[in-house]
Amino acid sequence: MNENEVHDVVTIGAGPTALTAAIYTTREDIETLLLDKGAIGGLAAITDWVDNYPGFPEGIAGLELADRLQKQAERFGAKIDFAEVSSLAKKGNVIELDTTDGKIVAKAVLIATGSDYKRLGIPGEDEYYARGVHFCATCDGAFYRDRKLVVVGGGNSAAQEAVFLTRYATHIDMLVRGPKMRASDVLQKEVTKHSDKITVHYNTSTDKILGKDSKVVAVEGTENAKKKVTFETDGVFIFIGLKPNTTFLAGSGVELDEIGLVKTDEELHTNVAGIFCAGDVRSGATMQIASAAGEGATAALNIRKYLEELERNNP
Amino acid sequence: MPKNITIFTTNTCAYCVMVKKWLGAKGYNFEEVNIDQQPERQKDAYELSGQLAVPVTVVTKEDDTREVIVGYNLARLAPAVS
Repeated sequence: MNENEVHDVVTIGAGPTALTAAIYTTREDIETLLLDKGAIGGLAAITDWVDNYPGFPEGIAGLELADRLQKQAERFGAKIDFAEVSSLAKKGNVIELDTTDGKIVAKAVLIATGSDYKRLGIPGEDEYYARGVHFCATCDGAFYRDRKLVVVGGGNSAAQEAVFLTRYATHIDMLVRGPKMRASDVLQKEVTKHSDKITVHYNTSTDKILGKDSKVVAVEGTENAKKKVTFETDGVFIFIGLKPNTTFLAGSGVELDEIGLVKTDEELHTNVAGIFCAGDVRSGATMQIASAAGEGATAALNIRKYLEELERNNP
Repeated sequence: MPKNITIFTTNTCAYCVMVKKWLGAKGYNFEEVNIDQQPERQKDAYELSGQLAVPVTVVTKEDDTREVIVGYNLARLAPAVS
């Protein structure tokens, strides 16, 4: 990495938001570097199937959608680098980023780090991580061929991944904390279609993951806040919501809301000039791939405007 | 240079694609074991890594020592293959 180079735009993250932004910026010859520490395509890439992204009437595998977005961005000249950003700071008219690849400098930055799956914070969750406790069905589901599973959660991800896991598991107990699922009607119907394999337990908290000989054997929960219940299982997949990836923003001056999402104005500009934010990590985001792509496009257009103003004021 | 590299993958694993792309971009050859297509090999992945997760990348070095890396972890993968 050349530390003297000043990039026009650096995106932190390379999910649908950043890839869409890069399609717009690079198509207008605005040089753009995308930095990501994980999978290109973000959470979309590890989602089994996407049925609600426009333009794909039959749906599309999350992995394929990510691959198409990447190819489209690269077609116009976007560069992707695998690096993790540890901090960023505004210095004069540029933004400096500390990364695992060294210092990177940009005129404008798009924060598009998205979110990761939340953890339950219960006994056994860390101890059996990747040995029976999982957060990615498309990655680790294949280890549970002809096994019993527990899926924790009642939202869209939990419903979709439970349905995905029926291709491997003999039976799935789905533990939903509230009296009903938060998943969309369409996904709830999908769960119902698989009722031969999925049993949904409402009003059931997940309290403890039990193991033996370094493998998960059961999940303990509480039904209706009083009755202790135990589900024998070979593995647990947890999908209880998202937490924003904003740790690296500590000390940057970028303003966050009370749950750690990045605050922006209507132009997706943060309180720090030149630093924009879009997608799942933005306060007010709707956490959909289609809206992430839309926000990426909006951010790109506003970044272009910002860069033009910067050029005018600093000829 | 490693003597050989084996990656355990599944059909739907995005991180597996990332590891394969990264190794390909760096010019390394590797053998892929897809446990969706070869479910009998899933126990090998578990025995090597101690985890029920993919990708599992096994780097065998010239002196026949092995390094096993779970996930898309460039901090470990890059030095292992160099």
